[in-house]
Amino acid sequence: MPFEISLATILIVAFAGSIASFFILPRFGKLSGPVAALLPAGLFAAFIAYLPSLATDEQIVTHTQQVNWVPSIDVNLALRLDGFSMLFALLITGIAALVVLYAAAYYPDEKANERARFIAFILLFMSAMLGAVLSDNVIALFIFWEMTSLISFMLIGFKSTSAAARKAALQSLIITAGGGLALFGGLLIAGMEAGTFSLSAMTADPEGLAASPWFAIMVALILLGAFTKSAQFPFHFWLPNAMQAPTPASAYLHSATMVKLGIYLLARFDPVLSQSTTVLNIMLGFGLVTMLVAAYNAIRTDGLKSMLAYSTVASLGILVTLIALEGPGASIGVAGFILAHALYKAALFFSAGIVIHATGKPKVADVHGLLYVFPITAAATVLASLSMAGLPPFIGFIAKEYVIEAKLEASFVFLVTAATVVVNAVLVAVAGVLALKPFFTGPMLKKSDCIHGETFGMSAGPAVLAILGIALGVFADIPQFLIVGPAAIALNGEPFYVSFELWAGITPMLLLSILVVAVGGVFIWQWGRLRRLVAHLAPIEKLSAERGYYFLFDGLLALSKGTTRTVQNGSMRSYVVTTIGVVAVALIYGIVVGFAGTNGFGDVSALVTQPIRPYLLIVCLLVAASAVVASISRSLVVAVVAVGLLGYGIALVFLMNGAPDLALTQFSVETLFVVIVMAVLVKLPTIAIRRGDHGRFDFRPGDALLSIAFALTVFVVVLSIATKPFDLTVTQYFAERSLSDAFGRNVVNVILVDFRALDTLGEIAVVAFAAISVWGLLSIRKTALPETSGDSTVTMPSLIFVTTARFFFVIMIAVSIFVLFRGHNEPGGGFIGGLIASAGFAVLALALGVNFAQKRLWLHPIVVMGIGLVLAIVSGLPGAWLNGSFLTHQWGDLNLGFTSIKIGTTMIFDLGVFLTVLGGVLAFMVRVQQQNALVIHREKATAETGPTLQGVQQ
Amino acid sequence: MTVVYAAMISIIAGAGIYMLLARNLVRMILGIALLAAGANVVIFLSGRLGSVAPPIIERGTEGLAQTAANSLPQALVLTAIVIGFALTAFAIALAVKAYSSFQTLDTAAMTAAEGEQG
Repeated sequence: MPFEISLATILIVAFAGSIASFFILPRFGKLSGPVAALLPAGLFAAFIAYLPSLATDEQIVTHTQQVNWVPSIDVNLALRLDGFSMLFALLITGIAALVVLYAAAYYPDEKANERARFIAFILLFMSAMLGAVLSDNVIALFIFWEMTSLISFMLIGFKSTSAAARKAALQSLIITAGGGLALFGGLLIAGMEAGTFSLSAMTADPEGLAASPWFAIMVALILLGAFTKSAQFPFHFWLPNAMQAPTPASAYLHSATMVKLGIYLLARFDPVLSQSTTVLNIMLGFGLVTMLVAAYNAIRTDGLKSMLAYSTVASLGILVTLIALEGPGASIGVAGFILAHALYKAALFFSAGIVIHATGKPKVADVHGLLYVFPITAAATVLASLSMAGLPPFIGFIAKEYVIEAKLEASFVFLVTAATVVVNAVLVAVAGVLALKPFFTGPMLKKSDCIHGETFGMSAGPAVLAILGIALGVFADIPQFLIVGPAAIALNGEPFYVSFELWAGITPMLLLSILVVAVGGVFIWQWGRLRRLVAHLAPIEKLSAERGYYFLFDGLLALSKGTTRTVQNGSMRSYVVTTIGVVAVALIYGIVVGFAGTNGFGDVSALVTQPIRPYLLIVCLLVAASAVVASISRSLVVAVVAVGLLGYGIALVFLMNGAPDLALTQFSVETLFVVIVMAVLVKLPTIAIRRGDHGRFDFRPGDALLSIAFALTVFVVVLSIATKPFDLTVTQYFAERSLSDAFGRNVVNVILVDFRALDTLGEIAVVAFAAISVWGLLSIRKTALPETSGDSTVTMPSLIFVTTARFFFVIMIAVSIFVLFRGHNEPGGGFIGGLIASAGFAVLALALGVNFAQKRLWLHPIVVMGIGLVLAIVSGLPGAWLNGSFLTHQWGDLNLGFTSIKIGTTMIFDLGVFLTVLGGVLAFMVRVQQQNALVIHREKATAETGPTLQGVQQ
Repeated sequence: MTVVYAAMISIIAGAGIYMLLARNLVRMILGIALLAAGANVVIFLSGRLGSVAPPIIERGTEGLAQTAANSLPQALVLTAIVIGFALTAFAIALAVKAYSSFQTLDTAAMTAAEGEQG
């Protein structure tokens, strides 16, 4: 057929069109409805083109198309269009077109953006539904399935300012997406047991799956997924709550499409499910209970939409029982009822939406007399209600005949039939009340009594659907051969003659139909009395999982709050104790258990017999003593000095073990550390004092015990490390290649700027981030600072210090540049140079104030840092360009006439490191100083004007 | 000598933890600095000590002498020292900020003040 567009194209157009509509619809204003409707209408037409090829009852016609997605795990977009998919595809696209028109009129022009977004979500939802019913791969089906849950969350909660809407949206998402997870488990089991993820292949060999030991779990999970989606008892409560959605969404999602997806899945898996009579009986049971509970609630509830919602739940229950029944008749019942129900229920939702929209009254009891204001809507509602009530010549009548027929064929006739009669009678009554109460009762209203009158966009939907309801009943040949027939055959699994006729003679079904309508008529007549009777009935509404849902929901929230309170208790000490406790236990466990057999140690005796170097021993003792003094001294000044001393000691340890680079770095860092911390402490003398501290020593026995335990752990771990076998491969690689490949004699520096330059780039970036964080953290409003801040007006240092400081500054800057450039071959480099230069500025700042020192830098510290980072990155670009490898440094010879020097991009890199470190340290110093100046300024102000101002300033 | 280093490291680590358990914010930061210093020495030690010759290739030779110290942990520790300094500096900035907000350096008092606010 030349008119058949490939299924993949249809799906791609659907998704692309819906996503594009998010952006283009707002431009169309009033026309956005008709424009948006073009997409579903076009897709509808594309499916109609397939109709003739399916119209045969001699064989099952299936169109397939496979698009590989993740072939390695057998996930593909296998698409399949048979009669049953076609039924859904036509409903999904056809009703979508009407819903879009309706929604465009539902949202007033002043909410144009909201309207466009809503319509786009409807279209996206349509695309996901199409994907679900066209997928033959169960994984793809699942993905589309969850997509519908997600988008329905957006639609139910579309009025996001309403707390009730948000709550209902979350509830429906948790239940349907949660059920979706169960479904996923079931589908995975089915796929693994069947050896294929193709839905058609899976259901073609149901005996194989039934023989699997996982069968029961698989079926339970699939049923859970389908029951939650199709609002079966006890999960039915989410559907009436979801009536918080805007009415166009309810009409689309909750009558025609999404809730039917569970039915679709059950029908597709029917060959597998029917392998077990128990499973069928379970489905039958749940379907029956759902029907009865929903019928009860439909009488009890008072909202227009919630009445419709409960009647939908009842219909879904009927469909589940039909699927549980065997035989071709049930297939006709399922297909016919899905079609009839979608037509009349969407029409009634549309009409209820018009009534609520025009009156602002959502309750049945409050609306009346709308016939003259909404004649078209009233007519459409009456027609749809008659179809719902199952009167001839409507399609609802034919569908109900086959539903009853299928139930009569069931073995336990009486129970099922009785329930069906009662529930259908209630549905007749609901249809009657919804048609009569708003339009034909009470004092008749004029147009001026309503918010608005009949509009084309809103009335088109119900009118078209209602007319279809009667047309497809009168000309029953059309559904018989084109829609219901192919769907029923596809469901049945083998071809059979599908009868779908208005008049089949005087049959038991017809007699039961008459009984249903008669009982329904009595219900309408005695509607008020019926409602009072039901209100006194046992509280069946408690028979839902809603209470369990809230119990779980609130319990989970309480649990997480409790956990947070316990674990995240705000006490720093408890975090530290927990962390080091776990670390210590894990370390000891690792040594004792992890190295079982070797005892966690190599040759300890070799360690013990190592010669002791006396000078180093003294240094180590000094370091240890500093650590102890720092920890127990009450005075913070003493502690800072001790920590500095410890750092110098460690620098000596580095120096005496062949690490001059480390020693230089440690010396510079320690100097800067002491200067900065002292600046913080000395300029804020108050902060060294803590309430409740007495005595010279800070002694806490419990903490001391914990610390000693940790120290012992560390001791054991370090010894364990030292006795492990040792591998020098990488070190030797660097030692051999340093000069030949990187033209540098200082291997440590070469590793930093060349071999592992990318790591170094990351590290200076960390330094830069830390400095920027400090800059932001300690930022203060300029106006808060006194003019003189940063100048040495607070404490005027001696003239000698000022003069020597200037001298030292010049020397240190010169040294730092020297150290920077010789670093490639001798101890030194960017880190050390940058730290020495920073120390030079620190000296200047101590003597003449930070502002003065900052001026000597010419540039803003953050800018200096940025230049440094950029230089480091730029130095890697030639390598990226020439060798295709970022930070592979390039070298060239610079001929000076008498000699030639090797120069390379490493120098640019090292200069970048230098500037980043310098800028970072200076940024920090500037901010700390400003903060100090502010505090001092405040204290002065407090001292001068008295304590009241302090309260105001804070 | 390794045993001496191990003992020294363990004392630094123990002292660091002890200071970290204090309630004074500045003391805690000093504890972090101690732990960082201890960790640096552990990395340094894990490259095996014993040689006093720096890993610098002598003039006139092409490769590093076999007696030279292990260069790899030195490169690691060098950046670790600078990063540790950046971390400490950041922590000090936090302490200064905390002091200007709470007028105390007592972490327990800060938690209490936070509870009042939140």
